[in-house]
Amino acid sequence: MEEKKAKKQEIIETEIQMGTVHPAALEPYRVRFFVEDEIIKDAEITIGVNHRGIERIMEGLPVEKANMLTEKICGICSNAHTWNSVRTAEIGLGVEVPDRAVYIRVIVEELERLQSHLLYLGHGCETLAHETFSMRAFYIRETIMDLLGMIGGNRVQYGCSIIGGVRPRCELDDNRIRKILDGMGLVEKNVAEFADRFVHDSIVLSRITGTGYIPQEQALKLAITGPTLRATGVKRDLRTDMYEYDNFDFDIITQDTGDVKAQLLMRVFEIFESIKIVRQAIRDLPEGKITDRSWEMIDTGLIESYIEIPRGTLYHSYAIEDGRVRHSIVRTPSMTNIGAMQYACIDNHITDGQLCIVQCDPCFTCSDRAIEVYDTKNNKLDKSILQSNIH
Amino acid sequence: MAFEISLISILEIVLTLIIALFIGVLIPGIERKYVQARIQQRIGPPVTSPGLWASVKFLFKENIRPNSPAPGLYKAMPILCFIAVLAVFLALMPENYQFITFASLIAIVGFLKVEEVAYVLMGSLSKSVMSINLRFPDHVKGAERPGLLVSSIEDISSNRSLRMIIFGSFPLYLALFIPAALSKSIYLGDIVAYQQANGPFLFTLAGIIGTVVFFIGYMILLNEYPFSYIKAKSDVIEGPYMELASKYRTFVYLTRGFLIFTLGLMYCVLFLGVAPELFSLKFIVCIIVSLLFPVIMAIVSVFSPIFTNKQLYPTILTTSALGALAMIIALF
Amino acid sequence: MSLKTHARSKAIHIMLVYTGGCNGCDIEIVNAVLSPKFDMEQYGVFLTWNPREADILVVTGPVTHDNKEPLIDIYNAIPNPKLVVAAGACAVMGGVYKNCYGDIPSEEIEGPVENVIPVDAKVPGCAVRPQDVLAGVVAALPHLLNAD
Repeated sequence: MEEKKAKKQEIIETEIQMGTVHPAALEPYRVRFFVEDEIIKDAEITIGVNHRGIERIMEGLPVEKANMLTEKICGICSNAHTWNSVRTAEIGLGVEVPDRAVYIRVIVEELERLQSHLLYLGHGCETLAHETFSMRAFYIRETIMDLLGMIGGNRVQYGCSIIGGVRPRCELDDNRIRKILDGMGLVEKNVAEFADRFVHDSIVLSRITGTGYIPQEQALKLAITGPTLRATGVKRDLRTDMYEYDNFDFDIITQDTGDVKAQLLMRVFEIFESIKIVRQAIRDLPEGKITDRSWEMIDTGLIESYIEIPRGTLYHSYAIEDGRVRHSIVRTPSMTNIGAMQYACIDNHITDGQLCIVQCDPCFTCSDRAIEVYDTKNNKLDKSILQSNIH
Repeated sequence: MAFEISLISILEIVLTLIIALFIGVLIPGIERKYVQARIQQRIGPPVTSPGLWASVKFLFKENIRPNSPAPGLYKAMPILCFIAVLAVFLALMPENYQFITFASLIAIVGFLKVEEVAYVLMGSLSKSVMSINLRFPDHVKGAERPGLLVSSIEDISSNRSLRMIIFGSFPLYLALFIPAALSKSIYLGDIVAYQQANGPFLFTLAGIIGTVVFFIGYMILLNEYPFSYIKAKSDVIEGPYMELASKYRTFVYLTRGFLIFTLGLMYCVLFLGVAPELFSLKFIVCIIVSLLFPVIMAIVSVFSPIFTNKQLYPTILTTSALGALAMIIALF
Repeated sequence: MSLKTHARSKAIHIMLVYTGGCNGCDIEIVNAVLSPKFDMEQYGVFLTWNPREADILVVTGPVTHDNKEPLIDIYNAIPNPKLVVAAGACAVMGGVYKNCYGDIPSEEIEGPVENVIPVDAKVPGCAVRPQDVLAGVVAALPHLLNAD
C-alpha cells in the first residue's frame, strides 16, 4: 500500500477554510482544504484556538488541587485525565492503592470509554448527515451518562480518583451494581441492534468504505495512537501493560483497512469488549476499603505516567516539591493524531473532509497547549522558520 | 382564437393559490413531526413551527445587509424563485390551458430552470462570515500558498448547483416528457384531455417507470437528503441561502413549500390527468398526491446519508437511463 | 398576544458558538438537541449553524484570546432582535481560568462572555445539564418576544 503525499502547490486550485465554528466540528479549530475540483489535495489543521494554559495554572498548585484541575482539560475523557494525574502522583509517592479502588477506577474508565465511543458513533453519523443513526447513538449513550451521573454525581465532570483510592461518593453498593449490570445489558442489546442495522445499510456502506483511508506504514510513521492506530491493523493497546488491567480478560480489537468503516466498526467492537471488562470487574469486585490515606507527601523528581484512554495514549508528567506541582506536561492522544487527520483527508471529496477528521477521534480542547518553535541560535520566536518548515 | 378570462376564474386561481401556500408552509412540519420524528423515536416539533411560524417570525427580524458583492441582486433572487414557481403553478391551472404556449411542458421546464440558475447566482454572491470572512488571529499563519484562489464555502455550493443544472435535473425533465410522448402533445390541455379519454398514464408501463423517475428527479430538484449536495451541512452549511435574513428568508421558506406542492400538482396533471379544479373531487386527489410525495420523500431522506459524487453520478445515470427506457416504451 | 410574539415563541432558532471550553458543555448542548431523550425540537427550539437564521446565541467556554474576534463577528452577523445565553461556569464567570494567576491578568482568557458581548441569560453548571440550557433559553425569552 502506497503512502499518501500532499500535492505541490502549483497545481492546486482553490483553498477552502472551515472553522473556527462549523457544524461538523464540535470544537473550535480551523481547517484549510486545498482542493482541486472538489477533491482534497492537501489539508491543514490549525489549532491553538482553545489554548487556556492549563499546565501553567497547574504549576505551583497543591497536588490534590492540580489533580482536580486536570479534569477540566477535556469534557469527554475527564475521568481519564484525573486518573492519570493521580496515578502520576501515586507512582512518585509510592502509594499502594486498595484493590477495590482499582476495580472501581477501571469500571468508571470503561464506562467512560463506552460513552466516548458512542459519542464518536453519533458524531460520525452526524457528519455523514445521517440524523437518524446519530440520534440513535445519542439515545444509547444516555444510559451510560445516567450511570456515570449516579457514580460520580455529575453527568460530565465525574472524575472519581483521588490520591490513594477513589472518592467516597463513588463507592459501589448493591443497588448501584444492579443498576450498572442492567445498564450494560441494555447497552449491549441496543448497540448490537444498531451495529446490525448499520452494517446492512448499503448506502451508508458505500459512503464509508474506502473513505479517509490511512495506510499502516504512514500511521506508524506519524506515531498515532489508540483505536485510530488499531483500525489500521496494528495490535497495540496500552491497557495490556497497565497493572490495573492485569486481572481482566479482554481482546484487543484490530481492523485491517484503516478507512472510516474500519474506524466505526472498531468502536463498535470495543464497546462489547468494554462491557465485558465492566462485567468481570463487577463479578470479581474485592471487598475492603476504597481509600488509603496512610501516605505522606514527599518531594520527588520528575514522574511520568502513560495510560490508555478512549482516544489513545495519555501522558502526564510532573515533579512534586513541597506538596506542589512543578513542571507539568500533558500530552493527549489528539496531539499525535492531528497528522493522521491531515493525511486522511487527502484524495477524498470535500464533503467527506470533515468526516476524515472526525474519524481520527479529534479532541482539540485536550490538545491545545503551547507549541512554540524557537530559533535556537537567536533564542527567540521566529515566524519565518515556521513558515518555511511546516510544509 | 378568443381567450376567456372571467372574474370567477381569476377568483378560483387566487383561492387555489392561497390553499397551496397554506399547505406548502405546513409540509415541512408534517415531514418533520409525523414522519422523521416518529422514525427517530422522539416527539418532534409542533407541526406549525418549522414552516408556518418560522416564516412568520422572519418577517419581524431586522433586514440586515447581506455580506455580498451585489446585495440587491442577491436579495432579489428568492423573489425571482418565487415568481418562477408561481408561473409554473399558474401554467398548471385548468383555466389557463387555453394559453397554449404558456401551459406547455417547454414553458414549465424553462421556469424550473430559472429556479436552478438562481441557486448558482445566490451561491456565488453570498460571502458568509462562516468561512474566510471569520477573523481568525492566525499566529502560525500556516503554510503560505501564494497565487492560490481562496474561496468561501458558498463558492463550492455554486459550482455544485451549476453541475446540477447540467446533469442533476435530467431525470425530472425526462419524466416530464414521458406524458408528452404518450399523448403526442406538449400542451397540458391535450395531455389532460387524452388521459380523460384513455385512462391515466400511471397505469401504463411507461407511466410506472416514469413515476419512479419523476420521484427521484423531484427529490433532486428539491435538494432533499440524500441529494442535498448544494446545501450539505457537513461542508457548505446552508449553501446559497447563507446570507439571507428577514423577509427574504421567509420567501425561501414559502418557495420551498410552494414548490413541493406545485410539483405534486404537476404529477397529477401529467400522470393522472387530474387538473386542479377547485370545488371538485379532483382537487382533493391533487392535495392527497401533493402530500403523499413529501411523506415518501421524508421517509427516504431520514434513512440515508448525504451523497457525494461517488454515489450521485451512478444514481442520476441509472435514473436517467430508466427515464430514457420509459421514453422509448412510450414512443412505440 | 400579537402575531409577532406568537410566531417568535413558536419557532426559536439557536446557534451554538464554542469559545474554548472543555467540550463538556458543547456536547451536553448538542445532546439536548440530538438526543431523543431531551429533544429540544418538541418545544419549537431548532439548532441552526447559520448566524443569519439564528435568534439566540448560546456561548460556551471562557472566550480564549483567539476566539474573541470570531465571537464578535458571529454576534454581529445575527439580525436583531437577538439574545445571548452564556452556558456553563466558564462562560458565566470565567470558571477555573479566571483569576488563575491572582491579581495578574491572564493573557489567554478574555474573561467571561460578558466582557466581550452583552449577555441576557446565564446558565450555571460545570458542565451544564441539557435541561438547564432549555430553562436558560426560556428564561431569556421575554426579552426576545417583547423586542420590536
